[in-house]
Amino acid sequence: MGLFGALGIDPRNVVFSSDTSEEQGRQFGKGRGTVDCCYPVKCISGHYGELVFGQKQKLDILFSPMIYTLPSFMSGHVARTLTCPRVMAAPENIKAGFLKEADVFAEAGIKYVTPFVSLDEPPLVPKQLFEGFQGVLPGLTREEMAKAVGEGYQALHAFNDRLRRKSREVLEWCAREDRACLLVLARPYHMDPGIGHEIEVDLQAYGYPILWMQYFPTDPDLMDWAFGEDIRAGFIKSPFDIRDVWPSSYSSNTNEILWGAKVAARIPWIACVVRLSSYECGMDQPTYTPVQQIIERSGTLFFSFQDLDSTKPAGSVKIRVETITHYLEKYAREIIARKKAAMAPGCPLAQR
Amino acid sequence: MAIATTEHYRAYTPKPFTRAERDSVTILFGGLHWRIERVLQAVLENSGYRARVLPIATKEDLLTGREVADIGQCCPTSFTTGNLVNFLRGEVKQIGAQEVAKRYIYLTAGSCGACRFGQYHQSYELALRNSGLDAFRMFLMAQDQLDQKAAMGDGLDLNLPMTLGCLWGIFCTDLVQDLEYQVRPYEVVPGQTDAVVKDSVEYLYEVFRNRPARTPYKAVFWHLTTPYFTRALREVYRKFSEIEVDRLRVKPKVKITGEFYLQTVEGDPNYNIHRWLEAEGAEVYPAAITVWMDYLLRLGLQRFEDYSGIEKGARLKLGLGRVAQGIYRWTFNRLRRAMGSLPHEIPSQFELRRLAAPYFHSRLDGGEGDMLVGKALWAYHRKKAHMICELSPYSCMPNTMSIGAMAGVIGKYPDLLYAPLEIKGDAEVHALSRCQMILTEAKKRAQREFDDVLARTGLTVDEVRASLDAHPEMKRATYRVPHGDAAGTAADLVLHVADRLGRR
Repeated sequence: MGLFGALGIDPRNVVFSSDTSEEQGRQFGKGRGTVDCCYPVKCISGHYGELVFGQKQKLDILFSPMIYTLPSFMSGHVARTLTCPRVMAAPENIKAGFLKEADVFAEAGIKYVTPFVSLDEPPLVPKQLFEGFQGVLPGLTREEMAKAVGEGYQALHAFNDRLRRKSREVLEWCAREDRACLLVLARPYHMDPGIGHEIEVDLQAYGYPILWMQYFPTDPDLMDWAFGEDIRAGFIKSPFDIRDVWPSSYSSNTNEILWGAKVAARIPWIACVVRLSSYECGMDQPTYTPVQQIIERSGTLFFSFQDLDSTKPAGSVKIRVETITHYLEKYAREIIARKKAAMAPGCPLAQR
Repeated sequence: MAIATTEHYRAYTPKPFTRAERDSVTILFGGLHWRIERVLQAVLENSGYRARVLPIATKEDLLTGREVADIGQCCPTSFTTGNLVNFLRGEVKQIGAQEVAKRYIYLTAGSCGACRFGQYHQSYELALRNSGLDAFRMFLMAQDQLDQKAAMGDGLDLNLPMTLGCLWGIFCTDLVQDLEYQVRPYEVVPGQTDAVVKDSVEYLYEVFRNRPARTPYKAVFWHLTTPYFTRALREVYRKFSEIEVDRLRVKPKVKITGEFYLQTVEGDPNYNIHRWLEAEGAEVYPAAITVWMDYLLRLGLQRFEDYSGIEKGARLKLGLGRVAQGIYRWTFNRLRRAMGSLPHEIPSQFELRRLAAPYFHSRLDGGEGDMLVGKALWAYHRKKAHMICELSPYSCMPNTMSIGAMAGVIGKYPDLLYAPLEIKGDAEVHALSRCQMILTEAKKRAQREFDDVLARTGLTVDEVRASLDAHPEMKRATYRVPHGDAAGTAADLVLHVADRLGRR
């Protein structure tokens, strides 16, 4: 919205497709799939279909960028910050389902705009987006796009900062009260209720604060406390360096999941980690063992929900949630005490 | 509940391979086809290393790979992991685990753009641990990074002369493989082509093993100018010239594309698809490693295209890269000429990119990216093949995206015969029967094309055969039939004979 607002587009004219749902896929995406793949990509047919066929007012542009790299807090500390190959190519793949019989976009009078964007390379982004919108937004200049991109990044950073501050408040509360919280290790799309199936919401209903790894606080004092010893011992070069557990650090979300696991192993009040993974996720697959090992070696509880697909397995989720909360009730205090004893003194979370 | 330890988890870090160990340690490698593996062995030996090629992966390796590593791997990793583990287990039985860890190291390709393939060190590590080989040393080479010293110690020096040797080895074996597949379906004496190829590869092994040593800069100049390799390829060409062929056998031409490992290997990992297609009556157009490397070069240079006007020096780097790309193609063509220009040319990466652009963005990497789409369209438009057989590992992340985009291509060109095969290692009958369906159509198309050419030229098969009998040189495997406006070899031959007889 920061970008479009700066380009002078009225926020009321920006329409987002709704949260993913099986109904959305059935109603708008049926017959548009071209290959069998993971649900987070497959479901995009339903989103496109909803935007093309399911609007009261006709849309002019369908914007679906091909995001190549992500602006990660780990940039500069890892090899690359690439997105998953399926996610980055999804717009081309899904598009084919809307072109194979006839050009559905053209028939609906919709311009399909899918710029290739390297979000972790800010100097390149204005050029990429300008080329993507050429002929779509009349009179657009390079300068306008560069300014809009700047504002888009500012909006993104402000959003991330706000959520990280919130996470820190939660952690400080946990430290003050010596209470357990849960960390969710998942990919960003698992925040979509139709993909992650709101498993963390079910857990939160039992009174446990939930943190998402993507918005974990990265303040220097906390990072120094958590990783200072590893840096001094030469295992890593910075708090966001994961070479000690994952040398092939190419994928942005994979890197962050591995880093999240390390954080969970070191923060005493994270008594439990919940891992979400979608069916056929090839990026998650090689990480199953190391993530579990990193977490369990520290004595932290680890539960994973793998092979998530379009249908919410409500019954089994309920049983798993009850199991998790049972373990937390029984062991959380012990886990926190043991992890506190293993960590260096002077935790900044406990000092306020 | 898990038991807490005071030690945090750390990834597997192999003990370095040192220079002092070069004489006693054997480098294991594999995962390509046997011709290039044999020549790479020669390059390594020429550089002073002991090298051994792993046996071709089998279905037993697939099962072992699935057993000892994490669930849900793509099948190339299951095959290669199981292949390594089974080989090492065999060695352990003979000399023990400690000796195996001391005597061998394993070298394999690492990063592959955004694909998870580059992150499989974890699977190898797990497999080695589950096989009681924790101390075994395994090194991953990033495909875009040559200096591996930091990770693997100073034992393996990937210097310029060795890199050039590998590159020239790829060129030469690609050319041999290409010609082999053009000749074998038409050989008059069964088995003659295989014998000539075996002989040629052994000959090239000696050529590369005895390659003169040069300093890095001199090595560049020498490789670019020496007649050493062209002479060797002329000798290979001479060996091929002894084969008699009958090109009037009407066969559909099938171009192999797909994921790098599956399109390259020849064996169980891809259901022996090359041989199976030949047995089913097809002529196979294999996927050259040279094309894959040309694609990687193009991908790398695209970054400078994007940064032109943004980053200082990007234009200059792009210009230099284009020169390197030009030299690459020039070298391949120079070697190709030594083989009578019989092997297929390498397609222009710019043309492939242009053809694929409406369907798949050129910057999306991982797998074959837009090249998979571009090659299918290139073969279709230029009549290089009747059918595309695309090999993709089950659950291959990048390739499924390119295949999905092919739905748009097929929508526009419904007569493009495209057989995307999902390879799992097992479920062979399912994949092959799917391929057979498309192949049946390709066979009909090849026959129709042949009949049309006969009708157009007014020639009969007997007249063509009589003309060939009158000119026995045309029945040599090394006789060059120019590519006319037909995809099939037999149809092209008829057109060529018609030209010679003045019937066109």
